[in-house]
Amino acid sequence: MSALAGITIVEIAERPAGEYTGKLLADFGAEVIKVERPGGAPTRGMVPVKDGESALFAYLNTNKKSVVLDLDKAEDRATLDRLLARANALIDDHDDAWNVARSLGSDDVARAHPHLVHCIVTPFGQGAPAEWQACRPINVTMASGWAYHSPSETPDEKPPLKGPGRFFADYEGAIDAALCVLASLHRQRKAGPNERGGQFIDVSQDEALINRIDCVLDRMLAGEAEPSMERTAYDMGGPQTSFACKDGHVYLFMTTKAHWNGLCSLMGEPDWTREFREDWLEFDCTRDNVKKFRDLFRPWIAEQEKLPVTEAAQKAGVAMVPVNTAADLPKNEQIAHRGFFQEGEHPVFGTVSYPTACYKMSATPVRIASPAPALGADNSELGGE
Amino acid sequence: MAETSLKPKSCGGPLEGVRVLEITKVWAGPYAGKMLAHLGAEVIKVESATNLDEMRAYGGVDINSAPYFLSINQEILSVQVNMKTEEGLDLVRRMVAESDIVIDNIRPGAMERSHLGYEDLKKIKPDIIQCSIKMWGNEGPLGYQTGYAPCFAALSGLFYLVGHEGETPRGMNMRHGDSTAGACAALACLAALHHRERTGEGQFIDLSAVETMTSLVGDSLFSYSVTGKVPEPDGNFHPEMCPHAAYPCTGVDWISIAVAGEGEWQTLCEVLDAGDLAADPRFSDLASRLENRRALDEAIGALTAQQDATELADRLRKAGVPAFKAMSSIDLCSDEFLWAREAYRMVSDHKNGSRPIIGPSWRISPEGPQVERGAPLLGEHNDYVYREILGLPQEKLDDLVARKIVD
Repeated sequence: MSALAGITIVEIAERPAGEYTGKLLADFGAEVIKVERPGGAPTRGMVPVKDGESALFAYLNTNKKSVVLDLDKAEDRATLDRLLARANALIDDHDDAWNVARSLGSDDVARAHPHLVHCIVTPFGQGAPAEWQACRPINVTMASGWAYHSPSETPDEKPPLKGPGRFFADYEGAIDAALCVLASLHRQRKAGPNERGGQFIDVSQDEALINRIDCVLDRMLAGEAEPSMERTAYDMGGPQTSFACKDGHVYLFMTTKAHWNGLCSLMGEPDWTREFREDWLEFDCTRDNVKKFRDLFRPWIAEQEKLPVTEAAQKAGVAMVPVNTAADLPKNEQIAHRGFFQEGEHPVFGTVSYPTACYKMSATPVRIASPAPALGADNSELGGE
Repeated sequence: MAETSLKPKSCGGPLEGVRVLEITKVWAGPYAGKMLAHLGAEVIKVESATNLDEMRAYGGVDINSAPYFLSINQEILSVQVNMKTEEGLDLVRRMVAESDIVIDNIRPGAMERSHLGYEDLKKIKPDIIQCSIKMWGNEGPLGYQTGYAPCFAALSGLFYLVGHEGETPRGMNMRHGDSTAGACAALACLAALHHRERTGEGQFIDLSAVETMTSLVGDSLFSYSVTGKVPEPDGNFHPEMCPHAAYPCTGVDWISIAVAGEGEWQTLCEVLDAGDLAADPRFSDLASRLENRRALDEAIGALTAQQDATELADRLRKAGVPAFKAMSSIDLCSDEFLWAREAYRMVSDHKNGSRPIIGPSWRISPEGPQVERGAPLLGEHNDYVYREILGLPQEKLDDLVARKIVD
């Protein structure tokens, strides 16, 4: 049983932002019809490509159907209207000019399909200057403030970072977009089969990222904390950071006397630990002490292996964890227990391991039921070229 | 009752009529409640003076005007219950009976020990949707563990991908993570709500905060499964765009520039007045630029270093090259675009009359939500919840208060 059975969504998105929005809903079991331009969605050409197939596309488009339509042609544009007439929602991530040229702006869609939930997720939201909407994920992450403050404690002379992977700003925006679509579809369901069930949803990726830092940045907006040019403005202070160990890296988080005593015992009470007050983390956590601690801890942790040392740390009440790589995750017992990775057969790649979702749902588990579609796989059913 | 309803004004929006009970603390759980409230759900936070949400206490301030709390909990209702008493738990169960969704992020096992686990709640309300947010999820070999958001990120695979090239991976800013877990919880709750509307069946949602972070790097992990190549911390590298990085400007500012294709590359060189770079064979196409990108980044950095980041980004964008300043906290707070778009907006505030908040990333029309009400006082909605939703007489409520069951 899937959560969104019976819901049909048309996706004309061509960036990871809109495609991930569609994926989140398709993986819940909605019928998501991906409309692709002749030649295929741009993401079909994006790396990594193996045996002529994009792994990115294969990830972003699980559980979807594909229909090829040239939306610049009247006939195909009319086919899209027929699909929209029987759909519950439309997902898009294009800029205004693209949509207006194809009569797919919010007013056009509301007029032609008043029942439809219509969501456009863009870098800066509707009304932003046209040239801003061409910004790429790295630009949006920079605009949101996350880059300036990432990683924690980055000095002025080192560049701010884009975040993990290539599409951080797309994915965070997509979560909000999918959330809004489901909320509005709830309203549509309540309204019943009438013409007024539709709504237009404008999601800004930049604002999704800014909203995620609410309890840090809002205190600055409200004058309760000082906004500044400091790269450390979002940080908490303290010794927590990552360290190189023998076979990788660990992350250590310490804020209390109990954490400190646990760590000292884990290390076998070396002499240097007596240079710190027992309660230094709470009452003497100066910049100098943090630096001194890290300098003295580094040689010890460098000789340890990440899994045994972090397991012993957990038992000693120390929040030290391995910094897992992509290769480590499938071996993690908890991730395996929850079935986060789902094995599947891909027509080109063979057996693959799909990351699924962070929510385990007892009645309607998220499943990858079908791999990303071949281009135009559903043309005959849906009227594509 | 209708003519004298105690029901607080709804902010409207697509979830109007949906009631959510939240037993949450700190950030991830309250953020899930906020997302649903900002879409129009009636979200009731179960609180107690003797077991406060830490966010009401940080800084040793007045619990009713604590900055951390005010910055998250807009449009939330507050009811007091002492959950350490059997009578208090019984009141919570009666609230569950009147709710659609229950969200918690308290310690593993705590809901079950209070007989508020899913099996218990199902007996009270068979179609209830319960969502539990935990570090590692609700059960399993590591399900007992608790921790902090940067630890989740480290475990998740996300942390490892963020770092300057060739250096120790450092992760995103350590504040990243909690709120995204809350957003994903809200999303799953709504999927479950659709299932309930269609079939009448509720369910239990077991959310892992670690896996929330893992899902944000899903494409990298899937690529690893396909290619066998372990993704490494990669700074600002992009395999299909070059330049694609942050470059120093005047002061401590940085500008991000992302160039795809030869047209954008030529335009960048024009705006930077860098004819020599445009003509340099080391940079003549994407493959060459990628191969020589350290030299390229250095050359561009030398050209941007004397320029104002905001002004240069504006010129580049207008010329057709995606660019944006890396915004500091002071840049964000004073940003005219964000204020004009109501990314920041004013809500009511018990102490100061009004307060700026970070509004939702969405605008919905027609009949969109109007986020206007600030965070609640502790127990501000006791009367509404006890007298109107549960239908208790005033004397009974007075008695519960006197005996500190409502505290």
